Amino acid sequence: MKNNKLLIMNGPGLSDLSNYNERGYGHLTLDIVQKKCAETCKIFGLKMDFRQTDDEAELSRFLKDGIEDFDALIINPAGYSHVSSVDYTIYSSAIKTITRQNKPVIEVHISNIFQQDVENTKPIQVPKCEVGFVSGLGIHSYDLAIRAVNKKLRKN
Amino acid sequence: MNIYVINGPNINLLGTREPEIYGKETLKSISKKCIDQGLKDGHDVKFMQSNYEGEIVEWIQNAITEKVDAIVINAAAYTHTSIAIHDALKSYSGFKIELHISNPHLRETFRHVSYISSAVDAIVAGLGPDGYSHVIELLADLQKHYKQKK
Repeated sequence: MKNNKLLIMNGPGLSDLSNYNERGYGHLTLDIVQKKCAETCKIFGLKMDFRQTDDEAELSRFLKDGIEDFDALIINPAGYSHVSSVDYTIYSSAIKTITRQNKPVIEVHISNIFQQDVENTKPIQVPKCEVGFVSGLGIHSYDLAIRAVNKKLRKN
Repeated sequence: MNIYVINGPNINLLGTREPEIYGKETLKSISKKCIDQGLKDGHDVKFMQSNYEGEIVEWIQNAITEKVDAIVINAAAYTHTSIAIHDALKSYSGFKIELHISNPHLRETFRHVSYISSAVDAIVAGLGPDGYSHVIELLADLQKHYKQKK
């Protein structure tokens, strides 16, 4: 464990969580999610950088170049790479690089993505990598991921 | 809270079965951690494992009649085959979480289909054996969130 720092990355569309509020996950804004993440990180003495971007290229670039400063990645890919195979390739290669460095990676979703009637909604598959997956626990998806990352970092 | 933790086929072999995927921890050890975590938080955790599909269906039906508050289910290989377990879970209205030790979506393509995912509230996978106790630890909060949802 180098600097106890997590990167919590939120993908395209997550700046506005109002559509989740209609689906019964309580009143959620990205600020509320960030605050809850900060509280949980504080319990475990972890630092975090909480980011959101609607720009897929920016997200990939940050995963590739920015990860050096972090010990783990929690990512809500949201709309990321469900359409573009180019973006998928960049994403999966970034995730492969991160997991090869033995940094825990967990994919989180606020809702249960398997209950949605949205086509192309599926976990982002990066074969043969160790990536955790948490979906459908609302704001607690992030909470559970932070707890799991903390446990993993303390074992490494 | 009353909580059922239901485990499917081959999970009794944990610790010796493909430890590079599932870890070296035995089911007995995971069970103890879940029950201990439950005791700490005031939950009554029943930890079960069966290699028989019908027995798992009956346990879910029991959860309905016993008004159990939450089910955590690792249906293992039945995840990818069992419409019977899907239907039983649909009939259960408490809080339900699908759990896997590894992440099935990153493994063989025959594990990419889950009949369980669309019948549960949430999915937790790939967090290793610790996934169980993490879920139990959060269940009280999660149930509140679920009640908001209803």
